[in-house]
Amino acid sequence: MSLMVAPANTPVWIDTDRCKACDICVSVCPAGVLSMKAEPSSTLGAMIEIVALEDCIGCNDCELNCPDFAIFVADKKSDNIKFAKLSDQAKARAAAIISNNYRLPVNYGK
Amino acid sequence: MANREIISTGNDLAAIAAVDAGCMFFGGYPITPSSEVMHTISDLLPAVGGAAIQMEDEIAGVACAIGASMSGVRSMTATSGPGISLKAENLGLAQMTETPLVVVNVMRGGPSTGLPTRVSQGDVAQAKNPSHGDYKSITLCAGNLAECYTETVRAFNLADRFMQPVFVLLDETIGHMHGKAMIPTEEEVKAGIKLRKTFDGAPEDYRPYGVEQDEPAVLNPMFTGYRYHFTGLHHDSKGFPTEEIETCRKLIERLFNKIEAHQDEIDSYEEFMLDDAEFLIIAYGSVSLAAKEAIRHLRADGIKAGLFRPITLWPSPATRIKHWTDKINKVLCVELNIGQYRDEIQRASGRLDIDGLFKVNGRAISPYEIVNKVKETM
Amino acid sequence: MAFNYDKYLRLEKMPTLWCWGCGDGVILKAFIRAVDTLGWKQDDVCVISGIGCSGRFSSYVDFNTIHTTHGRTVAWATGVKLANPTKHVVCVAGDGDALAIGGNHTIHACRRNIDINFIIINNFIYGLTNSQTSPTTPQGMWTVSQKAGNIDPTFDACNLAIAAGASFVARETMLDPKKLEKLFVKGFTHRGFSFFDIMSNCHVNLGRKNKMGSAMENLNWIDSITTPLSKWEKLSPEEQKNIFPTGILKHDETAREYCDMYEDIKAVHQGKRKVITQNDFEKKI
Repeated sequence: MSLMVAPANTPVWIDTDRCKACDICVSVCPAGVLSMKAEPSSTLGAMIEIVALEDCIGCNDCELNCPDFAIFVADKKSDNIKFAKLSDQAKARAAAIISNNYRLPVNYGK
Repeated sequence: MANREIISTGNDLAAIAAVDAGCMFFGGYPITPSSEVMHTISDLLPAVGGAAIQMEDEIAGVACAIGASMSGVRSMTATSGPGISLKAENLGLAQMTETPLVVVNVMRGGPSTGLPTRVSQGDVAQAKNPSHGDYKSITLCAGNLAECYTETVRAFNLADRFMQPVFVLLDETIGHMHGKAMIPTEEEVKAGIKLRKTFDGAPEDYRPYGVEQDEPAVLNPMFTGYRYHFTGLHHDSKGFPTEEIETCRKLIERLFNKIEAHQDEIDSYEEFMLDDAEFLIIAYGSVSLAAKEAIRHLRADGIKAGLFRPITLWPSPATRIKHWTDKINKVLCVELNIGQYRDEIQRASGRLDIDGLFKVNGRAISPYEIVNKVKETM
Repeated sequence: MAFNYDKYLRLEKMPTLWCWGCGDGVILKAFIRAVDTLGWKQDDVCVISGIGCSGRFSSYVDFNTIHTTHGRTVAWATGVKLANPTKHVVCVAGDGDALAIGGNHTIHACRRNIDINFIIINNFIYGLTNSQTSPTTPQGMWTVSQKAGNIDPTFDACNLAIAAGASFVARETMLDPKKLEKLFVKGFTHRGFSFFDIMSNCHVNLGRKNKMGSAMENLNWIDSITTPLSKWEKLSPEEQKNIFPTGILKHDETAREYCDMYEDIKAVHQGKRKVITQNDFEKKI
């Protein structure tokens, strides 16, 4: 296995140099952890951002579906990370993000 | 030393030479009059642990041969004019990627389907530029039975030295000629094998295409710890595609320089009775055999004729040609096409009055035809 | 520890030149994970790609790589494999490269059953050159070479491969990368010609001109035209016409691999066995 050590206490992390803002990871995340944000200097004027790190359940769907090697998920067994359980609140946020063109609605949850 | 006596055909000698020279892969397709090269090598190669395969078409034949060569083994294909036409695109890729390959073309009447079982020398111009774009051809032409062997051996060494395809032209007469030839022994050939240059430093320092402007690429065999990229696109020193202005310019210039700077290693010609010649005949391939016979008759009749026979056709021995065409006024180019090499003689000599004796109906030119033409001209 | 893709990537070539959301990247990732699972040594692997967007595949991976002329990947690979039968050879080509200009070579590589892994990235169009019709572009879709609407019928690449004699034929999409990775592992392990028809999205070219301009819309379309083989077999013939079955469609471990058969040829010419005859083969025609 070709492995790298995850940054401490980090279930999921991103490489913004590689992200092309395709929306796919946001669309497959069941827990509303990810969202696109405006970023004028990047492809399509957008960039991935992590909006709810603590809700990541470690399903790995974002990493597997990213065509650009821009997002990585820690390994349950060897990285000593405690992933969250999928909550209704997380699911609701995911649905809100997806229906808002993959962007967390402004003032969501406030 | 040519001490080994063998009775064989031109085509078979090319196959035997390839195996003696260390060829371990043949990819091809049947086409008259070259098929015997494939038949013979298909038996010889597996006997020494190599592989020969008849593919589904001409293009696949050269593609798999280039693939094998890229993987690091000496590789060959054989065909005739129509096959070279089909292989052209991939030959261009071999030039661009600097992949060694020996391409035997047993020439038949053309163009198109032409005269499949009859002789011509109609692919000489094609051998200079079979594919689109800028690159420099190395083309050898066997002028007798023994040269079917020796020129094929030389082709493998030149292909590895200059890292590109090398054509070996046999016209159909020579390809199907059956007789006795004196050739070097297998040991002599093996002792003279000069394989492609390789890099043995650290893999991270390896730059396959990062070489001097007068040298070919240094391409290590695959699977040996040096991983790099081959592409037909313009590429940088590691082989990756690029469109960078200076890199592209230098790559093409180097494809020419690598040959032009070392042409002395490629030149080969024969000068037959030229020292006191007053009539210069230029011929190659099987026609040169008739020319030599004609010269014997002419000399007996008091006409001092001599023959300049290019063995390396491309790059042409332009300097040497000019030496003779400056010295001798009467020049006759004899070939089995409509003046493909005459054009080069005129270019090299700077003269527009080079006479030609051409035949394009699939028949040989007899010594008498040459004698009569020379006498007519005197 | 997370998976480290960097080991297998030519990092100086990243990010890829593929469009945002292009399936090529997902397939590349699944391929890398499969190679890692199999434990192949990088030096033992040769990846050969054709012309097109998928043609850039070979420049991104740190193996022995070749970018060939259009349509010729499997012919090239036949030379590499036959000269080096113990090495791993993988070809990657687009639908046009493999099924149009390369159709003949594809057919014969299937027929020979040589141990090459052939991944066709089928995005139903000629993507790199801006949307010309390919042999898999559905009739009625808009393409630049048929702006009045495509009238060219399509064919089923897997049916072609099966008919031509490939011993491992499978279809998947890039919608489920984990499934795709497992399929690659199975197919690469198979000793014989492994044919993969991998359906992928070209939303920037095909999609945008056919009302599915986002990656997600294109992916949803692919989802709607594919279903696992077991479900497909239960559909009516009418329904089956417009859905592709996915999964392993053929897997024959008994077919003899070409390089293995070539060893018999070597044995004959080295005097180790008698000449091969029809009696050595079950198939007499």
